Amino acid sequence: MLASINNTSRLPHDLKSVLFNMPPFKDEHILLIAPGSQTTLAQLGLPESFTPARLHFPTRMFPAEKKGEFEPYKVRERRREAHSTNGAGIDVDMRDASAPADKGETKVALQSTPKLKAADGVAVTNKEQNSKSPLPEEVVYEEDIVSMEGAIYPMQNGRIADWQCFFSLLTHIYNTLSPPFHTPIMLISEPVWSARDREVLTQFIFEKFKTPAFCLMDSALAACYAYGTPTATVVDIGHGKADVTAVTDFVVQDHGRGIAVEGCGGKAMTDRLVELLRPKGFTREMCEQIKRSNITEILPFGTPLPATISPPKSSNTALLSSTGSLNGRPPMPRGPGGNAQPGNGEGDEDDGVLNVAAIVSGNTSEFLAKREKERAERTVSKKSDPMNKPSRLPNAKKDRASFQFEEYTRIEPQNGAFTTAGQYIRQKREIEVGVERFLLTAPSKEKTADRCSGGILEDLASQIHHTILSVPDSTKRSELWDSLIILGNGSKVKGFTTALISTITQRFMLSPSATIFTSELPSNISTPLATGGTNTPSHPGQTPGPFHHPAAHGVNPLLVAATHANNPIPATSANHDPAISTHHRSTGHSQTPTSIKTLKPPEYFPEWKDQGGSNAPVATGAGVTNTTGPASSGGRNPPTALVSNRGMEEAVFLGAQIAAKVIFVLDQGLSKGFLSRVEYNEGGPATIHESSFS
Amino acid sequence: MNPSIPPSSAEYGGGTVLIRRDEVSAIVLDPGFSTTRAGFAGEDTPKSLIPTYYGQYSISSQQKHIFGDDIFVTPRPAFSVHNPISRDGVVEDWEMAEKVWEYSFTSRLTGTRSGNFVLNGLDDLHEDEPSREMEGVELEEKPLADSPLLMSECGWNPTKAREKTIEIAMESWGTPAFYLAKNGVLAAFAAGKASALVVDVGASNVSVTPVHDGMILKRGVQHSPLGGDYISSQIRALFKTNSPQPITITPHYLIASKAPVDAGQPPQVTYKAFPPDKTPDASYRTLLEERTLTEFKECVVQVWPGPNRLSATGPNGVANEELAKSSPGRPFEFPDGYNQVFGVDRYRVVESLFDTKAAILDPDSPFPAPVQAQAIPELIKSALNGVDVDIRPHLLANVVVTGASSLLYGFNDRLNQELIQNFPSPRVRISAPGNTAERRFGSWIGGSILASLGTFHQMWISKKEYEEHGVSIVEKRCK
Repeated sequence: MLASINNTSRLPHDLKSVLFNMPPFKDEHILLIAPGSQTTLAQLGLPESFTPARLHFPTRMFPAEKKGEFEPYKVRERRREAHSTNGAGIDVDMRDASAPADKGETKVALQSTPKLKAADGVAVTNKEQNSKSPLPEEVVYEEDIVSMEGAIYPMQNGRIADWQCFFSLLTHIYNTLSPPFHTPIMLISEPVWSARDREVLTQFIFEKFKTPAFCLMDSALAACYAYGTPTATVVDIGHGKADVTAVTDFVVQDHGRGIAVEGCGGKAMTDRLVELLRPKGFTREMCEQIKRSNITEILPFGTPLPATISPPKSSNTALLSSTGSLNGRPPMPRGPGGNAQPGNGEGDEDDGVLNVAAIVSGNTSEFLAKREKERAERTVSKKSDPMNKPSRLPNAKKDRASFQFEEYTRIEPQNGAFTTAGQYIRQKREIEVGVERFLLTAPSKEKTADRCSGGILEDLASQIHHTILSVPDSTKRSELWDSLIILGNGSKVKGFTTALISTITQRFMLSPSATIFTSELPSNISTPLATGGTNTPSHPGQTPGPFHHPAAHGVNPLLVAATHANNPIPATSANHDPAISTHHRSTGHSQTPTSIKTLKPPEYFPEWKDQGGSNAPVATGAGVTNTTGPASSGGRNPPTALVSNRGMEEAVFLGAQIAAKVIFVLDQGLSKGFLSRVEYNEGGPATIHESSFS
Repeated sequence: MNPSIPPSSAEYGGGTVLIRRDEVSAIVLDPGFSTTRAGFAGEDTPKSLIPTYYGQYSISSQQKHIFGDDIFVTPRPAFSVHNPISRDGVVEDWEMAEKVWEYSFTSRLTGTRSGNFVLNGLDDLHEDEPSREMEGVELEEKPLADSPLLMSECGWNPTKAREKTIEIAMESWGTPAFYLAKNGVLAAFAAGKASALVVDVGASNVSVTPVHDGMILKRGVQHSPLGGDYISSQIRALFKTNSPQPITITPHYLIASKAPVDAGQPPQVTYKAFPPDKTPDASYRTLLEERTLTEFKECVVQVWPGPNRLSATGPNGVANEELAKSSPGRPFEFPDGYNQVFGVDRYRVVESLFDTKAAILDPDSPFPAPVQAQAIPELIKSALNGVDVDIRPHLLANVVVTGASSLLYGFNDRLNQELIQNFPSPRVRISAPGNTAERRFGSWIGGSILASLGTFHQMWISKKEYEEHGVSIVEKRCK
């Protein structure tokens, strides 16, 4: 109320600054960044039809040589004999290095040029070599794009744990995309960021990137934009945490919001699998891929496990029965006979770095990738034939199932090997899993030490209940129950949404008799449930008119007026404050929920169509992944199935694009959706709280 | 603008902004018995709303505290719930009160400070400046080191408690400026009045505070325990004697599964079994039952709007109770699936706020049977009797209703009726904001207005003044 008064009083001034100082922004100049604890989505420019984020950066950095600085990739130090270079050019991609490191590196790299030779595929930089060793040995630093050793994740459960590292990640992203100077920036903010955090970020963005306009948008609000709804309960399942937010009429409800509810994300599900499967010889990486595979499913509340129908006889059969000769931890198959393919055409393709060698050999690697794909298809079809016969049952009825496990293995180069690069081979093998794959959300032993609830779904269900119940305007609650948006990559596990809805329904749904009662009482129409739960307005956008009775819930107001005339509300005396008669009468409403629904995703964004279970497993080590096709430089797409695997679980990014289009391009700041540089210079970082999206 | 040309330095203020930290808005902290509200001055609602209750449990022989909404959501092994504030509204456990309050602003507003991150990452902007050296200096920054703090207190807060409050703010939180305001005064400001009779219906207390020209009239301040928690106890008493069967509230966390039942039928439910050493404490159960009761109050409970008491006869000679019976009942379903329609009983549970004879007696209740002097109309009478005769009409013309429990359906109608009966004057006027948030956060909003006023700057107690005069300065300056 106060703020809105403030806003209107400031409006003329803003208008002036916007209209006269600010040339319009162009679609292709808008930079969007949506940071997450695991993956940060980014894109420069709004395409004509909104696409999933073009770039996925892993939200991690590696400590650089100099303390306090960070590199996007693991830098490995190796000593090797110095001998004269023989040809292959060096490639140091400066765009990729974080800015602070930039200047220093350029110099050093130039110095070292004559002494180095690069392997195809991996950027090699060399700093300070020869400073200590006069021997014909030099220290070579190479970027190891798959290794995660020593990685620092600057965001932990949404919180920014390491500011330096987070800033260098932003810088890395900014440099990779290398936007022009007139680029407004939209950053999706995590609900857990405090007001002060937001100020610090605002300051960083303005002063480091010199952006003309900046918008910090709440991720839950972005989800609402994506779904085109003003009111929704947004359940965002992330890696280590989940956020549950009630949004009413595009206003994020701060009170009762489930912020970074710990232990409710994808990580907890992997943890649970590890707990169940580690005794049987599974590694964490395997569990991670099991979680992402098609055979994993979360069954709706009360569904019996297939194992309870036919319990496995011996526990050790389950496990690593892999195809072919690979048993347990197999020796590395090198030859083309196995499913593996020596990977120097693969690892580097995930690399955001352009390098000469890769371009030169581009055809070759494409060819290799193609060949491998064909081979994989062949093997899959070969295998699936005999396997399909005994298992016509749906996955949920089978007590065991297998999936393709895929991993990168580093080959230590042999002595005198020609290449300095870390080489990886990608291996695939089949692994069978038992009913553990249905138990992802069961309460884990580790967690029960700390909490005594019944697992992730139950925790989420109570949080959703709490969040909706905390919405002060009780007339909105029914609509909130009917507009759940469940998103986030943690929700991608098959069956998650259905199972969550069934858990909520089981726990909180009111029985019909509490809502529909045609008992002895004559006029109960003010309990607006006689129509079996369709009591919410059918058009979520509609705002009640001035005579809309809060009790009415979309029921014909005349009807309500008529029934309320029977009620013993006495004629109010003249000296009544008019406010009294118009206030929210919370008792004019009844208990919720009488129905629980998820919102349908919008259908007018063809690129965002649900990829429906194309949850192909992918080794998790890969670097920047490039999601969408044509604009990205050819040959860099990883051959893995990852490419088209992004759907509405990342709807926040869709919402970010829609909102960016609206606030930066269409309305030119009239809605005060962003903070302009002029305003920032006048008011400082705290001005960010006045923009309407944060 | 050419996208390939960098912004000129004139167009871009750059690093100068760094220095301008004096424009930081003050933090307003409004601690109540049930919830604690915190936010930035100048905003319309507190950004941070947390329960004043905190949870406590031990894991591997280490004691852990849980603050915030999580206590409602996650049951924990052998979890107990406590409140650092006494039922009277005065702090009992200072150590925990400090932690709860600190959580209320660090969690959403200031963040927990670890080093001086403000300058981090901007190092290359200030290559010439010795920014690195500054880092060491501010490493031990306190949570409120750069935000002035305005806190509220109840009208009967003892001197000792006030002095302790300023000590925490100055010493532990390191605030540069502090002020302690009465919540009654703040609620009057929120309603845009400098003089008012503030009726604050909170969780643990109902208070009536006469405010004149922005000053509290101490002799007139009245309070009684007939607040939201008392109403809960009345509802529980009703449930005990309920027909067709007594109702027990079983919170959701104790329920494994349930099946729908018809109205009035016993619930069909399977309960969750906790190992005995892990069962959450009774205090936790009570807290969650309270949650269900809140919903019950929102959906079912209704104040008999008057005229006259529920037990009296109405103007047309029909007993009010009969009238109430003829109005349609309201259904309610409990977490275990039991559901029932509540008829006239839903009026009875709140009637004792106005007519203590109507109280439902329950020997097990923590609240002793109320006496008539504790009823709201009596509180108003004694409050007016405590102030100068001349300003009484003025106060009656500005009765400000605030506090979450005043949102009970029909409360204002009834209060208005009572006032008309007791003070037959045409100029009795109730002002109660229609917006739920404004009613719930009245005193916080008043604080938000006050702290953002330019004229308020001279009122702050600065760190320097505190260091000079010590804690006693709060008595001199915050009246």
